[in-house]
Amino acid sequence: MTRLGIAARITAIFGLGALLLSFSMGGLSYFTTRHFLLAERESAAQHQAFANANVVRSSIESGNTQYADTLASLDAGSDSHSVLIHDATPYSASLSLSLSSIPRQLRTEVRQGSAATETYRTSPQGQPQIVVGVPIPSVHAAYFEVFSLSDLNHTLRVLGLTLVGAGAITTLLGTALGRFASERSLRPLAGVSRAAVSIAGGQLGTRLVSEAADPDLEGLTTSFNAMVDQLQERIEREARFNSDVSHELRSPLTTLSASLEVLEADRDNLPARAQRALQLLGDDLRRFQRMVGDLLEMSRADAGSADVFLEEVLVSELVQRSVANGVRSLGDGVVAPAVVVEPETQLLHVGVDKRRFERVMANLLENAAHYGGGATTITVRRLVQSDDVEITVDDAGPGISPVERTKVFQRFYRGSASGRRGTGTGSGLGLALVAEHVRLMDGRSWVEESPAGGARFVVALPILPSEEDPL
Amino acid sequence: MSGRILVVEDDERIRSSMRLALEGEGYEVNDAASGEEGLDLFASAPSDVALIDLMLPGMDGFECCRALRRQSAVPIIIVTARADTHDVVAGLEAGADDYVTKPFVAKELAARIRALLRRARPPEEEDPSALSFGTLQLLPEQGVLRHADGTEVHCTRTEFRLLCELAASPNKVLSREQLLDRVWGYDYFGDGRLVDVHIRRLRTKVEVDPALPQHILTVRGMGYKLVP
Repeated sequence: MTRLGIAARITAIFGLGALLLSFSMGGLSYFTTRHFLLAERESAAQHQAFANANVVRSSIESGNTQYADTLASLDAGSDSHSVLIHDATPYSASLSLSLSSIPRQLRTEVRQGSAATETYRTSPQGQPQIVVGVPIPSVHAAYFEVFSLSDLNHTLRVLGLTLVGAGAITTLLGTALGRFASERSLRPLAGVSRAAVSIAGGQLGTRLVSEAADPDLEGLTTSFNAMVDQLQERIEREARFNSDVSHELRSPLTTLSASLEVLEADRDNLPARAQRALQLLGDDLRRFQRMVGDLLEMSRADAGSADVFLEEVLVSELVQRSVANGVRSLGDGVVAPAVVVEPETQLLHVGVDKRRFERVMANLLENAAHYGGGATTITVRRLVQSDDVEITVDDAGPGISPVERTKVFQRFYRGSASGRRGTGTGSGLGLALVAEHVRLMDGRSWVEESPAGGARFVVALPILPSEEDPL
Repeated sequence: MSGRILVVEDDERIRSSMRLALEGEGYEVNDAASGEEGLDLFASAPSDVALIDLMLPGMDGFECCRALRRQSAVPIIIVTARADTHDVVAGLEAGADDYVTKPFVAKELAARIRALLRRARPPEEEDPSALSFGTLQLLPEQGVLRHADGTEVHCTRTEFRLLCELAASPNKVLSREQLLDRVWGYDYFGDGRLVDVHIRRLRTKVEVDPALPQHILTVRGMGYKLVP
């Protein structure tokens, strides 16, 4: 079962509170009113019954035996009905009224000589009523008067409905108030959440503004901002450290490579052994340079401090140029792969950091050259309905087994090709950097099997909507 | 090709190796260990190209760039440890014409120097004849950009070449690659930031309101064009 959120809980508490409060208040007023009205009716009924009993007694004493007429005259102009029991014979002006409508217990009490009132009993006909019984011992009679309470009942029903309606409205208002209050009190949290998202997105300068110096939020704001200050300081220290390291490592490398070039310019004047040593020195110095460069690139990507300079370019032109440059940097004796730009991709634009894309292509070509017998075909294609344009690099090697297909993008992974490490000039970071560079450009990269049997590396980049697009 | 190159670099060993490598390429090298020293040296013996490291003790590379730019249109190459940072853009905005990343290959550096020196020579024939736009007059043959009232607008060689390339085909869009190729002088598939920053610098000199350019326009996804 999922727990309710804090907003839902606050709203529910407000709603329940309003419900309880309004219904207890409503209940209280209902029963007080009912009690008061009934008591009033009861006392009025008793008064009337006693007065009428007097009239009946006088009438009987004066010898009048037309009891029904007497009773009818009493009933006229009143919403009550009279019953007279004289010498165990009941008399009534109303046909609908019989002895059975008078509770037996009341009759017993009256027979024993006490005046009694039975209130709010439902008659056998289903009508609420007050029955007042008055004994008239002087003439051996008992007088009963039955008062209908249906009008009072109606009033009470209207009152009850009104109170229930008011209770429901109060509950709704309470719920709405709870919702408002929870939203209101959670609003600073939404601010914190927005700030955190912005900070996570790299906007380290983001701070919480203390909302109108609310003393309840002061603590949260202060500690949140202190946390971000510390975080920012650590990240900046790390970035500074990276920058310092890069400077420190690159300085000696710059000296080494510049000096090496001076020696290489003079290589013909060196003895054969020295030439061979110079060759080794040069090869490994360049490899070392690559490694330092790749490591720094990787550490910046890890620290999230990599700057991506996106440019909008034609993908066909981009790939052709990058491949040409990549092939050139591989050195002499490398056969340039065929570049196939499928017609529907001819006019597509992508947003890329060209320096990074060029490194991606160079690394893929180098990987193909070292482990796949050289790249055979580069294809620029777009799958039907896809938002991406795919650049595929096929090689003529043995391919990469499915289990190794994600591992090859790991750092320093050499896998089954590790036996060839001796001739490799890469840093071991080439494909890992391909993945990083592509990710920084919002693209995806993976490897699959090429139809010709070798490996097929794929770089998918999102297509930019183009103004020149004929669609 | 020969020329005199000012190298401002605080690391003594790098300085020496650069001197060796550049002298090997046939250049005369003046070197300085700090920005202040570099500016003094330039004042006493002007050079054809300046190479300035961005990380310098005291006056940093950016400040040195700006100071040099205030007194001369000499081509400047900044040397930076990182290619992907704002350092490159900041250096270009401080007035540099180009940049190299450490550790650089001396041959590559020499190629960029050659390109800059070529840019400093008198322009070639396909340049446009005099062209007016706004209140400005461009006289490629004399290497002059001036207001209608005759006051000259100072710009660097690179800015001037960029303007000439745009003016050579008015109303026609030139891509960043084309501009890099023609102005920076060699097949330089790389950094659009070079073009962007130079365009920005040009606009501050050419446009009435650089934020709302009327003459040097950006064509999204394509490049730039000049509208007289």
